[in-house]
Amino acid sequence: MIYLKNIAVGFDKELFSVNEAVFNKGGVHVLTGKNGIGKSAFLLTLAGLIKPLKGVISLNDKMLKIYSSKELSSHIAYVSSNPKGVSFLSVDSYLMLGRSNFTNIFGKASETDIKEVEKAKSLFGIHHLSEKFTNQLSSGELQLCAIAKAYVQQTDYILLDEPTSHLDYANKRKVYELLDVLCKEHNKGIIISTHDLELAFKFPFEFYVIQSQERMFNEVKNFKDVEKEFSH
Amino acid sequence: MKGIKSYSAVLFFVLAGIVLLSIYGLLYGDIDTNFQDLYHALIDYSNEDMDQVIIREIRLPRILMAIISGAALSIAGMLMQTLFQNPLAGPYVLGINSGSSLMVALGLLSGIGFFNSELGLIGSALLGAFVFGLFILFTASFLRNQISLLLFGVMLGSFVSSIITILEVGSQAEALKAFTLWSMGSLNGVTIEQIPMISMVFIGTCFLTIFIVKPLNILVLGEDEVRLMGYNIKKLRILIVFVTAVFTGLITAFCGPIAFVGLAVPNLTRMLFRTQNHLLLFFGNLLFGAFFLLSCDIVTQLFSEVLIIPINALTSLIGAPFVIYILISKLR
Repeated sequence: MIYLKNIAVGFDKELFSVNEAVFNKGGVHVLTGKNGIGKSAFLLTLAGLIKPLKGVISLNDKMLKIYSSKELSSHIAYVSSNPKGVSFLSVDSYLMLGRSNFTNIFGKASETDIKEVEKAKSLFGIHHLSEKFTNQLSSGELQLCAIAKAYVQQTDYILLDEPTSHLDYANKRKVYELLDVLCKEHNKGIIISTHDLELAFKFPFEFYVIQSQERMFNEVKNFKDVEKEFSH
Repeated sequence: MKGIKSYSAVLFFVLAGIVLLSIYGLLYGDIDTNFQDLYHALIDYSNEDMDQVIIREIRLPRILMAIISGAALSIAGMLMQTLFQNPLAGPYVLGINSGSSLMVALGLLSGIGFFNSELGLIGSALLGAFVFGLFILFTASFLRNQISLLLFGVMLGSFVSSIITILEVGSQAEALKAFTLWSMGSLNGVTIEQIPMISMVFIGTCFLTIFIVKPLNILVLGEDEVRLMGYNIKKLRILIVFVTAVFTGLITAFCGPIAFVGLAVPNLTRMLFRTQNHLLLFFGNLLFGAFFLLSCDIVTQLFSEVLIIPINALTSLIGAPFVIYILISKLR
């Protein structure tokens, strides 16, 4: 369980605050809000890359800041909105980097590591990309690979910053279906930010909006509440 | 390229090439010797025999130094390119060996006692490289553009060379000659007695590099990914700069500045191996770098009767067009 109490989110100055929020395993939590309101900052805060300006975040009843970064990387995986493609880095090697907590000191993969990567490739339907270099992928393909890399990290929680932004409609749908599968069948806790709300609302996800006027983080139950935020 | 086997095969061939070139270099030169002299020079050495002296005292240290320098500068270049995520980075273009040059110039030209001793010279060359490395690292946090960082490195180099020029003007003829020879870059300056110490520092630093290949593999994806995987990015950056500085400073102290090896070889290795696995790239750079500089050395020896080409001039002659090629093909 990720629990937040009275936190203020921002890089240097406060962008918005959260009174209280709980993110459990086995659910997909969808976060939305206007551009620049601080969705990315929020996910970076949960990933431990930036510190909350005030308040407390806890993970499994232990303060997030007590975790060493190594420990944290075995609980939480993060996928940025713009994964980077690198020349001469094949998709297979890229996915294997997600297994860094398991491979030996020289990064050598065990049988289990290879099996996990194969499993992820089947699950995400990216088998045909195995040998391709990551800089030769389309941004959509790269986004799928980045999510697969987070999956092989075998963490309880996966944070995804706009995972569907570069995808076509079919792939957007596929990603949401996959996230649904990951939370239901693999009991992952998934937190994403997105603007693809109409599609997301077709899934049994939980929704939150960062309201621009009050600069507050609130749970919303239906699409109308979200539209209200974007109407002014 | 695929599979460990094909990499091993390539590495083995390069290694064989290095051995053959070394034997050739030991045997032939201004004076040709034979296998018997070589055997005696290496196994039961007598300093009465002129041929044996030439092999052991002149050629052997030069060839070993070519191997070590080529390997060290190439690995240093690989580290810089991964750290700055820039295929045009290298210890020379970033001005890291300017730091060593400045310190060596201070030592040789100013005549201050401490710097003039051998240990003082090496120590200050390492320190100079490390301080300049940290300076570049610090600057890189403001310069997001790849070319800007290189320009900064080149400016740093020009700045240092003006200071050195001023030092040169005010120095004695003897000191000036020694420094000028050093600044041309030469593999001849090392004696066989110095080789064990140089090898030990080199091998130790290689081990340090091998133990950071895993975070280096992640670093190609950016610094945030390294942090997300639980590594301390600040420590890693400083460790990379330290390793680079030891490699660069060590070679610069003994051989003078050798340009472009550290830039060209890592790129060639990556293109040939088509991987970002830094363990493979490490061994690739180690052997390709050694092979490259050894070849350059043999070439300069071939022409030695006509004219003595400084090694630095030859590496620049090959390296500079290569940089232009990368500029055109990768960073358009």
